[in-house]
Amino acid sequence: MNRLPRGCANVGGDLAAAMEECKRVFLSLFEQWGYRPFLPSGLQLLESSWERLPSLFRQKLIAVNSPYGEPCCLRGDITLATVAYLASHHSPEERPLRICYSDRVYARAEKPRLAMESFQIGAELLGWERQGADAEMLFLLLRMLDEIGLEKSILLLGDATFLAKAVSEIEFSAAERIVGALQKGSLIEYAALLDEENIPDFYRAILQRIPELHGGPEVLEEAAALWGRGAPLLSLKNVVSTLTALGYGDRIAIDLSLVRELGYYSGPIFDVYSENYGQSLGGGGRYDRLLSLCGLQGQAMGFGLDLQHIASLSKFRTRSPSVMAWFANLSPDEALRRAERLATGGRPLEMSWCADRASSLENATQRGCSSWVDLSDGSTLDLATKADGRTLPGKEELPC
Amino acid sequence: MLTIALPTGRVFSEAAELLMAAGLPASSLASPGRKLVIEEGDFRYILAKPSDVPLYVSYGAADLAFAGGDVLQESALPLVEILDTGRGRCRVVVAGPASLAERFRGHPSERMWLKVATKYPRIADNHFSSKGAQVDIIHLHGSIELAPKLGLSDCILDIVQTGGTLKANHLEVLEHVSDVSLRLVASKKSVALRWDDIRAVSRAIRSRCKEVRS
Repeated sequence: MNRLPRGCANVGGDLAAAMEECKRVFLSLFEQWGYRPFLPSGLQLLESSWERLPSLFRQKLIAVNSPYGEPCCLRGDITLATVAYLASHHSPEERPLRICYSDRVYARAEKPRLAMESFQIGAELLGWERQGADAEMLFLLLRMLDEIGLEKSILLLGDATFLAKAVSEIEFSAAERIVGALQKGSLIEYAALLDEENIPDFYRAILQRIPELHGGPEVLEEAAALWGRGAPLLSLKNVVSTLTALGYGDRIAIDLSLVRELGYYSGPIFDVYSENYGQSLGGGGRYDRLLSLCGLQGQAMGFGLDLQHIASLSKFRTRSPSVMAWFANLSPDEALRRAERLATGGRPLEMSWCADRASSLENATQRGCSSWVDLSDGSTLDLATKADGRTLPGKEELPC
Repeated sequence: MLTIALPTGRVFSEAAELLMAAGLPASSLASPGRKLVIEEGDFRYILAKPSDVPLYVSYGAADLAFAGGDVLQESALPLVEILDTGRGRCRVVVAGPASLAERFRGHPSERMWLKVATKYPRIADNHFSSKGAQVDIIHLHGSIELAPKLGLSDCILDIVQTGGTLKANHLEVLEHVSDVSLRLVASKKSVALRWDDIRAVSRAIRSRCKEVRS
């Protein structure tokens, strides 16, 4: 047996088929809305990634030397590669830019995560300066989730600006510790830091409430009341009201304690959860700050989802059984011609080149096919009822 | 229905008592027998091996759980620690024979290449690497105190409650690593989507913990 490097995996069988189906749905939907595919390089120069990623993420990069001796890393984040490319290859006049991708990303394997590579699908929208851009991205994301059968998935929405403004009057290192505690999920450490650090009362009161600001749109009113005037929630409110008007009100929840792993977000952020799985399937948000680090001004929104995860939960996970078409000793060209007409029916088709009928039938049963067709006369056998010794009522005439 | 995972073993009875004292329907936990899933009122309790408890929460099989700080540190799963119950207090320490104490009083470099037996390889790695000391970590699953005695390791990293087991095996505490207690944890998803239920449970337990402390 061939051994793979630790942390790597081959994906085949029904899961691979489901991943391809999800990818197809995703790409065709986003391309229909003007998003152009992008295939970033697998190797990125360390110098272009290092400064733009938070330290926690940098520690996960897999550093390598290219065969030309340049210090590189395996692509750990596609957004970064995409923005860097767009910044250097497109003039401001070409904006807005809409990009979608499906590719692998790499991160150092660390318990409990054993995998070093994962498959990501995602999209980026750069250069629209209005609220509709945020809503467009989330609307398409929800549409895509619907189409792959995750109609009960939830978008958990937060806003990076809300927390950033709440810690803006605190000394930098203390603010970092407070945000870090929230990011780690340690509400115990977070509460202790709020007690210890020198924080103006007004901001302390807001920070104390943040871990409790979860729920429906009413949370936004509650959060706004904490600030009085000038609550940094306008973008998030716009997103929520647009998605609600589009009929997705029951698919969104608010979490103002949400902190995403990548530190470059600067507005509405979100995580995607499915109904029956505890971990996030991915997420994204507004990253105007990253854009400015790349020398661009303006608004940007993007997301990335773990393709393997969403495929394993999608309606494509259980593949519909195929039809086996026996060539019935016809010439290969004639058999393929007849089979091609069957294949256009939409169900997966497998050719059987067995010399005799019995072997072909046995093979079809072993492979879990739903039915079997004799291409010479078009007779069809329903393999689910074959045990009863019955054939389908009436012979289906092949369209030939 | 809210699902709460509880660790079997040392802290099970403390967690069960806490739930009952907080007024949750949990009387069946007083004598669970061999049951691994117990339903009472609007709650489902899952009884699991302590090291598996964080996984149940992380993968969404449970909304809430009680877990020791040591288990949470070792699992490194992205969970939300809601409450420190103050129960099940103990410490994670490095312990070894008295002859090793001098090396732990000196510069961290004197700890280089020590052989450390532990059931917490991740905590051990984080602890020693934070001091810049490279050590050999020997991952054992129990009876850690035996390792130095049998020459398998120089020292151990383990939890200590009273210190009685260390003393019985002629070991002493060389270094404090962290304090451990029983924590109430939840997944990020449950915190966000079931906050009202979780807050009610958390408040009931918190008030009970405060009563006991005062």
